[in-house]
This record gives sequence, C-alpha cells and structure tokens, in this order.
Amino acid sequence: MARTAAILKAVARALRRDQKTIESIAGNNFFWVTVILLQRAGTFIYLLLALILLFPLSTDPLRKVPASRRALWPLDRRERWSLRLLSPWINPMTWLLAAGSIFVARGSVSVGLWAIVGSLIAGVFLISSLPLGTRGTAWRAIPHFPGALNQLIRKNLREMLVTLDFYCALILSLCVIAFRIWARLPEEALLPMTALVAIALSSYAQCLFGLDGDSGLERYRLLPLRGWQVLAAKDAAYLTLAIPLSFSVVPAAGLSAALVALAVGHSATVRHQKPQARWRFSAGAPLMEGLWQAILIAMAAAAVMHTIWVAIACAAAWIASLWWYGRMWESME
Amino acid sequence: MITCRNLTRRFGEHTAVNDLSFEVDAGAICAFLGPNGAGKSTTVKMLTGLLAPTSGEVEVCGLNPQKDPIELKRRIGVLPEDLGLFDDLTVEEHLELTAGVYGLPKREAKERITQLLRTLSLEHGRRTFASACSHGMRKKTSFAMALLPNPRVLFLDEPFEAIDPVTSKIMRGVLQSAAAHGITVFLTSHILPVAEEIATQVMMLSKGRLVWNSPASGLERGLEEHYFEMVESPVVEELEWLGQPQS
Repeated sequence: MARTAAILKAVARALRRDQKTIESIAGNNFFWVTVILLQRAGTFIYLLLALILLFPLSTDPLRKVPASRRALWPLDRRERWSLRLLSPWINPMTWLLAAGSIFVARGSVSVGLWAIVGSLIAGVFLISSLPLGTRGTAWRAIPHFPGALNQLIRKNLREMLVTLDFYCALILSLCVIAFRIWARLPEEALLPMTALVAIALSSYAQCLFGLDGDSGLERYRLLPLRGWQVLAAKDAAYLTLAIPLSFSVVPAAGLSAALVALAVGHSATVRHQKPQARWRFSAGAPLMEGLWQAILIAMAAAAVMHTIWVAIACAAAWIASLWWYGRMWESME
Repeated sequence: MITCRNLTRRFGEHTAVNDLSFEVDAGAICAFLGPNGAGKSTTVKMLTGLLAPTSGEVEVCGLNPQKDPIELKRRIGVLPEDLGLFDDLTVEEHLELTAGVYGLPKREAKERITQLLRTLSLEHGRRTFASACSHGMRKKTSFAMALLPNPRVLFLDEPFEAIDPVTSKIMRGVLQSAAAHGITVFLTSHILPVAEEIATQVMMLSKGRLVWNSPASGLERGLEEHYFEMVESPVVEELEWLGQPQS
C-alpha cells in the first residue's frame, strides 16, 4: 500500500494546485439543471449519476498521471485496483456529492440498492480505464465543408462526436421524435424539451478547445488565422450538430439557444481552456457561470416564441462574442 | 532576415532569455544550440510571435511578431517543440489544412502534398490519424506542414531528434536546398554532428545568455569541443549504487 499511498499523495498535490479556488470546480449544465428541476424526486438518482458519469470521467484525478507512466510503475493488480478506486476520493467534489447522496437518501434506500449503485460505479470505473481513446474510425467519416477552414471544422466535429454531451442531446431529441410519432406530446412540453436539448450540449460550448491538447493549441497559434476565425470553425461544428437536433423540437428556439450557448460559452472556452477527456461529459466553466449560461439558454428559447427579433438579438450577441473573445484569444500567450 | 535587439523574457523572477542580440541573414542555416532549459525554445517562441518579449525588439522578414502576427505567420514555417498536431486529423488532412489556411491553389497544393509525402516517406501513413502515428511520423508531418506554404523563414525546434537516419539525411538535404534558394533556416538541436554538417552560422546559449555567435567557418575546433568549452563541460559522476543488489 505504500506505493499506492505515494502515488495518491502526488496526485492529490497536483489536484490541489489546480483547485486553489472554488472557480476551478467545474460541472456539467445538464446535470445541474436536472438536479434543480427534479428536486427531491430525482436528486438521489442524479447525484449518483454525477458520481458515475462525471467523476470517474472528466475530472478523474488519475488523469494527472500519463497512462504510459502508470503502466510502467511496478504495481501489482491489487495496488492498481486500490489506486483506481481510491483516487476519486482525493477530489473534494466526490466527497460533496457522496455526502449529498447519503443525506438525500437517508433511510429510504435499501442496502440492495446501495450495492447496485456501488457496482454501477465500479463498472464505470472499469470502462473508464479501458483504452477507448481514439480507436475506431466510424465517427471520423465526416463530410467536407467549403472554404479554407474545412479541415478545422471536420476536426472539431470529430472531437464533438466523442463527447457524451452530444449523445445525451441526441437521445433527448430522438425521444421527442418518438413521442411525437407514437404518443401525444403536449405542445407545452416542446419548449422545455428544446431548452433541455440545448442545455445538454451547452457544457461543451464552454470548453471548445478541451480536446485539442497542448499540441493542437500550439498549432492554432501558429496558423495565420484571426482569433474569431478559430472560434468560428469551432462554432460551425457545434451548430452543425445542434441545429439538426433542434429540428425535432422547436427549431427557431433551438437555434437561438445554441447561439446563446456559444455566445456565453466563449468566455470559459477562451479564459479557462479546461482539458477534457474523450467519451466523457464536458465540464468547462465554473459552476455559477455554467448556471448563468443554462438560464440564458432557457430564456432565449422561451422569448423567441414571442418574437423572432429575439433570434436576431441572439445572433448579434453571438457575433459580438465571437469578435470580442476572438480578440482576447489572440492576445493570450 | 531575423534581427533581435536586447531580447529579454522573464517568467516571474526567472529570466529565461537575457539580453539577446543577433542577426541571421537570408539563406543562412543558423544552429541555435544550448543545454535543456537554456532558453532556446523560449527564443523561438518569441521569434514566431507565440510569446511576447518582456523587453527588447524582434524583427523577422522585416515584421514585428507582436504588431503583425498574422502577416508574419504567412511568411514563416514552424516545427514547434511539441509538433502542433491535432489527434483528430490524419497526416494528409494536416497538410490539406495548411494548404487551405495559407490559401494555396488546389492543384498546386495537391502536387506539393504528394511530393512532400513521397519525399518524407509518409505516403504509406497518409491516412493515419496523428494520435496513431509514431513520434517520427508526427515529426515528419509537422516538418512537411512547415515546408508546404513555401515560407521565407523556417523555425525548426529540434527537427532531427527521434528521426531515422535516412529521413534525417533527406531532411538535411531539403534544408540545404531551401537555404540555397534563399530561405533562412533557424534550428535548435542537441545533435551536434548534424548541426555542424549543415549550419552556416552557430549560436550558443547558456542560462539565457548568448555565449557564442559566429559563422560556422569561424569555428577553429570541432563544434562539440567548442560547445563543451563555451556552454558546459560534462562531468560524469559515478553512481556506486547502480548494479548493486536491489533492496
């Protein structure tokens, strides 16, 4: 155990350097919004989902250690497992969520359910350790786009297609289609569903450079492109996926919400540049910034139903954000 | 083609590059040498506009990297320290990206890409994603990206490290031919025999300061001997515990 303890100590030190302020704790908009919406009915399940989906994932402390280095350490199987299982607990957010889960579920959850939850978490940890990374090419067959930014947009689409945010939004969108075909979906449900689809994708808009890595970021700096062009290539990929997803709900509201997600998300994208992991949910902006983004998305989606001028205002806000944060991106080292 | 005057870069209390002044003429191959942490990559970053100097002036192709960054980037080719590749693009797509962004006509771009892939033995791996490439392939891809837009100045950060001998020889040939056509090459390297073979100008950096700057022909002794004298001499300490039974 001495070896495991030494590694955990080093990882905790590295994590502490990253989490000096509350601002460094990022979350996923979809997760937080659903927790708030479902309140007591769904809080327990969602807190567990967070444990399962967020913490072995985007903010996994073990990501601080390169996989190649981990593989070289002379650890036996037992030590590797204990490292895998103990490492999330050096992240304060894991304690926070676990405490929340226990508080909400006290007395109402059986031992059996806790066991199921435990196995689920262990299962996801196991999947999290598998080298899913960049294998396979099915999602990489992307069509070409006109213009000089063609390959950048294709690359950005490939990056987006390896995040769970997209698939979460896709499932929501497909559910709406299924309900509209085979059941009666009340008209008043369409708008909240539009907002939910947009919110499911919105956390990715806070970390558009998250999957580029240091090497990719350096390449961006070397290309003779203005900051707004780099962001526009990111946004083009985002809208290419966000717009079709909104067809099943309310397209105008979906488009406005996507533009607002990008307009607000540029700030965190440029200022924080949080690295993300493939096949995980995105977690880019600090909690409050993320919640503000979600609120503005919902407001935009609702307001556009009254007047189309809101859509124009959203587009104007997006263009202004593109210009402003493009300039900021250029000035950063 | 490259001019630095009193170039300094500080990171907090640490001075990475200290009062650097030099000139590199058009068509020169300048080897910028020094130990790890001497400030070579920091200097390259300042010359290519990736990092702003704390003080001093830089001019590349008659342009100030801080005032005209886009115009400068159009005229230079860079092989950066960490190669600057995207995991989600193939070798060929990286070259197509470069061609598109630098505005090369389609037919010309295709011809140049085919030629570069052939010259650098990248043809067989043209459809391999960068994430699946070997380090050598990645380096060759980045080198090809630097050459593709036909730049006026090439900045190459350790181009020969992790490269097989044949490709290294080809790259040296390409650089010498480029220099003969007036392209300026500014490279950093730890492989002194290679630097000695192709450089027309040698600069040595130690602890952020320029300690040697002369034409390669001005070196009276071998480059390695000069390097050990000017930069640092190797001291091999005996590690008695190596080879002892493990505790």
